[in-house]
Amino acid sequence: MKKITIDPITRLEGHGKIDIFLDDAGDVANAYLQIPELRGFEKFCEGRPVEELPRIVPRICGV
Amino acid sequence: MLKKMLEQFGIDEKRLMLEWVSASEGDRFASIVNNMTEQVRALGPLNWNQGGKHG
Amino acid sequence: MAKLKLALYWAAACGGCDVAVLDINEKILDVAKLADIVFWPIALDFKYHHVEAMPDKSVDVCLFNGAIRSSEQEHIAKMLRSKSKVLVSFGSCACFGGIPALANLTTRAEIMERAYIEAPSNENPNKTLPQTKVSVPEGELTLPELYDNVLTLAQVVPVEYFVPGCPPTVDLILKVVNALATNSLPPVGATIASDKTLCDECDRKKEKKMISRIYRTHEIIPDPERCLLEQGLLCMGSATRGGCGALCVKVNIPCRGCFGPPAGVFDQGAKLVSSIASIYQTNGKQDIEKMVNELVDPAGTFYRFGMSVSMLKRRIPQKT
Ligand code: SF4
Ligand code: SF4
Repeated sequence: MKKITIDPITRLEGHGKIDIFLDDAGDVANAYLQIPELRGFEKFCEGRPVEELPRIVPRICGV
Repeated sequence: MLKKMLEQFGIDEKRLMLEWVSASEGDRFASIVNNMTEQVRALGPLNWNQGGKHG
Repeated sequence: MAKLKLALYWAAACGGCDVAVLDINEKILDVAKLADIVFWPIALDFKYHHVEAMPDKSVDVCLFNGAIRSSEQEHIAKMLRSKSKVLVSFGSCACFGGIPALANLTTRAEIMERAYIEAPSNENPNKTLPQTKVSVPEGELTLPELYDNVLTLAQVVPVEYFVPGCPPTVDLILKVVNALATNSLPPVGATIASDKTLCDECDRKKEKKMISRIYRTHEIIPDPERCLLEQGLLCMGSATRGGCGALCVKVNIPCRGCFGPPAGVFDQGAKLVSSIASIYQTNGKQDIEKMVNELVDPAGTFYRFGMSVSMLKRRIPQKT
């Protein structure tokens, strides 16, 4: 089975990677989108004072 | 203040000591330093990572 | 002059640094005149294999934003290092760890647990976590390894210049562009910003007043003329490099230190602790306790943007 990898996905904010598997006839058998990045806002915002969050969470996405 | 911050960094408060000793209190100074050294030695190494990939 | 070859990349970042480059508006046309862009994921379609195929040192300048917290980011950083003549650590994440480095107060395991299992928006009964390798019926899928520690670019590869800011201001970006255009780059290792502290460029009135209380930002509306720190707000100006144009303090908001420590300051947080300790009026133990209680999150405030370059770098993992 042939694999085409598109890495990185471009023209958007954030990281992404697509793997496309082709069958013997050259048709798409399956495609997978993966996000190869995690920064952890879900966790590290815990314990920060609530009034400070407006200065932290804008950095989730700055686009 | 420093203690509270070090606690957030996971550092035992026993590792920080703040004492006021006058220049004339030589014996007291020596005994405080000895005690502190003993105390830190008992706690063992800090596993302080100098910026590797894994904690 | 032959056109320069320019690359831009993001690692653990938000894209704000890339957008800041676009914020120079019509000046971007000067950049286009000056340079051909050979890699820029946010805007152009070049892939990693294109970069890999480039000869060593064939890229004149690479503006690299974002911190390093995965094997992929480290790999790309090393690749862009060997392909580039000049590598610029661009923005606070690349220079000091930035907001992503707040994760150094937690661990990879805690982040994974929270993001993929506990988060209320998730449905993950089998508690599946991302793996570096997964077999699927059609073959194998790979993902980079997430590191426990968030690192700066310079902690992974040698870097020629540092441009701080979250994001770097238009003025600083133009300074870089002009230096490239006129071939007048500063000595290697320079930080393109001020060498002094933010307090030096802040025109608020400083009266050398002591404070008897630390306020949280929602508790008072500060006087727009007077120094914020002297009004009891935690302003990081004295421990922060100038060069931002005092953006935050001009709009009555205390600085959070995104420009990193100024020249000669080894640890931004330690410097701030000593600044506060020296202006807080205390008469005995209760006052000190009160001050400590008023300071809700010292590590997350004093190292808001600079955890990766702090003396301690991260929370020490507890022995189990
Ligand atoms: S502490 Fe803040 S408000 Fe006060 S002089 Fe420094 S930058 Fe300005
Ligand atoms: S005032 Fe501080 S937080 Fe605001 S832009 Fe300047 S350095 Fe960054």
